[in-house]
Amino acid sequence: MSKLDIIECQGKRAYPPRRSELTAQFWDALAEGRFLSTRCDACQKLTFPPKSFCPHCWNQAVTWVDVPKKGTVYSSTTVHIAPAIFGHEAPYDVCIVDLDAGMRIATRLIRRDAHAVQVGTRVELVVLKYEDGPLFAVRAVA
Amino acid sequence: MSRSVAVIGGAAVPCGKLMERPDAPLQVLEHEVLARCVLDAVRDAGIEKSRIGSLVFSHPRVYTRQLYFATFMAHYLRLPADGIVMEVLGNGMTGGLAFDQAVDQVANGRADVALALGTSFEMGADTAAHLNNTMRATGDVDFQSSCGFTPIAWYAMDAVRYMHEFKATREQIASVAVKNRMHAAHNPLAQYRKPITLAEVMSQRMIVEPLGLLEVPPRSDGAACVVVATEEVARQTGRPYALIRGRGFHHEGAHQISEVPTDMTAFTPATIASTRAYGEAGITAKDLDFAEIYAPCTIVEVCVSEAIGLLPRGEGAAAAAAGATTLGGDIPICTSGGLQSRGHPPYVTPLYNVIEALEQLRHRAGERQVRDAALGLTICELGNYNAALVHVMEAVA
Repeated sequence: MSKLDIIECQGKRAYPPRRSELTAQFWDALAEGRFLSTRCDACQKLTFPPKSFCPHCWNQAVTWVDVPKKGTVYSSTTVHIAPAIFGHEAPYDVCIVDLDAGMRIATRLIRRDAHAVQVGTRVELVVLKYEDGPLFAVRAVA
Repeated sequence: MSRSVAVIGGAAVPCGKLMERPDAPLQVLEHEVLARCVLDAVRDAGIEKSRIGSLVFSHPRVYTRQLYFATFMAHYLRLPADGIVMEVLGNGMTGGLAFDQAVDQVANGRADVALALGTSFEMGADTAAHLNNTMRATGDVDFQSSCGFTPIAWYAMDAVRYMHEFKATREQIASVAVKNRMHAAHNPLAQYRKPITLAEVMSQRMIVEPLGLLEVPPRSDGAACVVVATEEVARQTGRPYALIRGRGFHHEGAHQISEVPTDMTAFTPATIASTRAYGEAGITAKDLDFAEIYAPCTIVEVCVSEAIGLLPRGEGAAAAAAGATTLGGDIPICTSGGLQSRGHPPYVTPLYNVIEALEQLRHRAGERQVRDAALGLTICELGNYNAALVHVMEAVA
């Protein structure tokens, strides 16, 4: 499993996610360049965000797995009018990505250049390493 | 439902700025504004105060100082109730839930007359500060909001996806805003009534690409009250009313998106909820004379018009641009002016939509009247149409 590229970012996360005993496993792995989630031991479905049970069949046995980092942009937008806490980052891009593992996520989109990313663009998960912890995002495959 | 239910009255204040900043010397107070709506609505219905048995409130916004607003209002209005007094909350669907619960109160025999009512005051807060709050309602706060998603960012992604899949143009989608403003020009409750051109819509500054200022909802305060009653009470008033013929609800069990890839712009909950409502009413979408749709952004109206069967899939934007949804067209949509022009006080917006449907079905909509309107639909939602609530109503004169 190839690791996610880690992009160094200045300052702290604008709206840091909370950590629980469960989700700390995700954020700690992310800081190391791994994107984990949980897969149901019974129906084999992936879920995201990770959970202690399968939301589809409610089985309580799940296994943490590495999720392959590549996917395709399903849709995206550029946010110009942002919440106050994100004001210093605006405008910024967010998107919905269908990962090759068959899992859909919504996340920040990091541009490689000035051009907006189109629907259908191949992207990969990356880690945004802030001073206070990681976030995940996607970026067009080089 | 066990008893036939009718909408017999309604009143609201024009959408716009009511709330003052906290440091202003004179404040506009929610309960004072709402009390006037209640008196107006009950007078409009032509019933005695003593007949009201249930009060279902949309939950006030976080900026409203008075807590336990429903019970405070029951006191302010001196309205003892045998049915229920409660507040409901469901994001953009809040006002619709209040209406639906009021209908339940009457249908189930808990009350012969029920009020669905509430306020949505937020203009005392800056937009950027307000977004700090609303972004928490339209995403997973840890795994999505941390990226900076705003409520309408999801609708913008609907627009991008829809244009990609159906080759619809920006102009076609933007035409919805021009149409809605044309309708709003004739609505005294509308926040913006001055006509606009397609060129003006297209040239606005971007809010969430590709949606500019006039394709997203304005921020609004509002207050509204709707009176529902048994059909027997409605008949006794001797006035025209709107009979509820069918209802439908569906929540897809997803918040904004699910990790399971689906067709996001299909708005499947709207299809399921409307199919149920049509079935209960014994009608098809083609029988409707108008639809009052909860659509914060232009693209949302397009997607809903397809999801509920008014227009073929993928053709909604082109049809809107060709005038099919304009007053006088095949199926007029949002004769009120919609959320972009009528205004969008989120927690009571669905009540404004019910009031518009009531005015149309009583043939009291003036210059925006749909000729011979007999059957109308209202639909509201939460999230990115992750849930939809539909009511089909019929004119009874």
